[in-house]
Amino acid sequence: MADERANGFEPKIVAFLCRWCSYAGADLAGVSRMTYPPNVVPIRVNCSGRVDVGMVVDALSSGADGVLIGGCHPGDCHYVNGNYKTRRRMEMLKRALDGVGIDRRRVQLEWISASEGAKFRDTVTAFTQLIKELGPSPVPVGATADGEG
Amino acid sequence: MAKAKIGVYWAAACGGCDCSLLEVNEQILDVIEAADILFWPCAADAKYEDVRAFAHNELDLVLFNGAIRTEENREMAELLRTRARWLAAYGSCAHTGGVIGLANLSTHDEIFATVFGKQANWPKTHVEVAGRSLDLPAFLERLTPLDTVVDVDYYVPGCPPPREVVSGLFSALIAGDLPPKGTVFASEKNLCEECARERKQERITRILRPHEQEPDPEKCLLDQGFVCMGPATRGGCGAVCPAANMPCTGCAGPTARIRDQGSAMLNTLASLIGTGEENEEQWEAEDAVIAQLADLFGTFYRFSSAHSLFGRRYHE
Repeated sequence: MADERANGFEPKIVAFLCRWCSYAGADLAGVSRMTYPPNVVPIRVNCSGRVDVGMVVDALSSGADGVLIGGCHPGDCHYVNGNYKTRRRMEMLKRALDGVGIDRRRVQLEWISASEGAKFRDTVTAFTQLIKELGPSPVPVGATADGEG
Repeated sequence: MAKAKIGVYWAAACGGCDCSLLEVNEQILDVIEAADILFWPCAADAKYEDVRAFAHNELDLVLFNGAIRTEENREMAELLRTRARWLAAYGSCAHTGGVIGLANLSTHDEIFATVFGKQANWPKTHVEVAGRSLDLPAFLERLTPLDTVVDVDYYVPGCPPPREVVSGLFSALIAGDLPPKGTVFASEKNLCEECARERKQERITRILRPHEQEPDPEKCLLDQGFVCMGPATRGGCGAVCPAANMPCTGCAGPTARIRDQGSAMLNTLASLIGTGEENEEQWEAEDAVIAQLADLFGTFYRFSSAHSLFGRRYHE
């Protein structure tokens, strides 16, 4: 791990972005020609409320060093309250991460609206920097044993 | 029809699984009519040499209970795999790692210090006494379910597998009609489908634990604020724990459609916590309810932690 850091560790970050706000915000950052680190793999979801604990757990055990979840600002959710549910889920997940010694900052929930291209850029830049400082994820790829499902 | 040949093995487990085979009562007589039990260390004397002497695939069915904790467990799993035509992971420990999988959250030293006390008393894998030596199987780095070391044909969930489930397995064996590989001998649906309690999907504003208050026997336990693992747990037992006024602890593992039982339950609970009013003013109170969830892994991953991301301790 130390070697990887010395050789310029480039984190892999999965970003689940809701299509109504954060994904549109990411699009705005793009069409506005803002630059931000290329470490983020955006995955468009219909609502941040679609992102469940299992999806984040899957990302972490598939090699992601960090997971960003972007949703609409409180009160702005296209589906009324999906973002509130995700907030509670991530609160629980972070407590679980604390319990096994995974830095809870590897999972970040941000409210980014469709008009906030700059906030998207700033969030991704800061998050990438943070994950670089934290170093590679301690989770080995394939940490979850596949069940019958 | 020639009698089937079966074997039963006890790896890292408490022994409850071996007892559960007899819970089928008189059906065991039909089993003995239809099959010879050639290997069952708990009930009949047999040496590992006898197992080695069996031909490849000689045993039709082996019920393997217990997780893989020591080198001996792994060696026997590998050996029995070559001697068994059908290998079944019997019980929670073999299926998902079971309650003992929670030991993965502690280091070897912590486990040994708890069990054996002073380091001087810890077992050694090699000792020499009076010119003779003795080797004990080593304790593996992590405890894992059976299917992480060998290919598994069937899963028989439960801690221990309930009578209905065991009986279903025996009926298939007696009829000479074992189902396709990968079959899980339990329901495809979750436990709530079998539970007689009335569910209203009430919101949860306070987490209750069974020692704090006696649950109302008619109402859904989740509605009352008890963490009942029913929604994320495979049915098949007939919801015996909720019927006895205790929340489901999730021993049958994840349902057919999910992989990670604990995270599925966390999702369920996240949707229920709060007054139902969704706004920022509620967040503090909601987080306070979340903070009431004592022992996150022991509750949500009691039987399946070895199977999950949370099946070990990380260092960073």
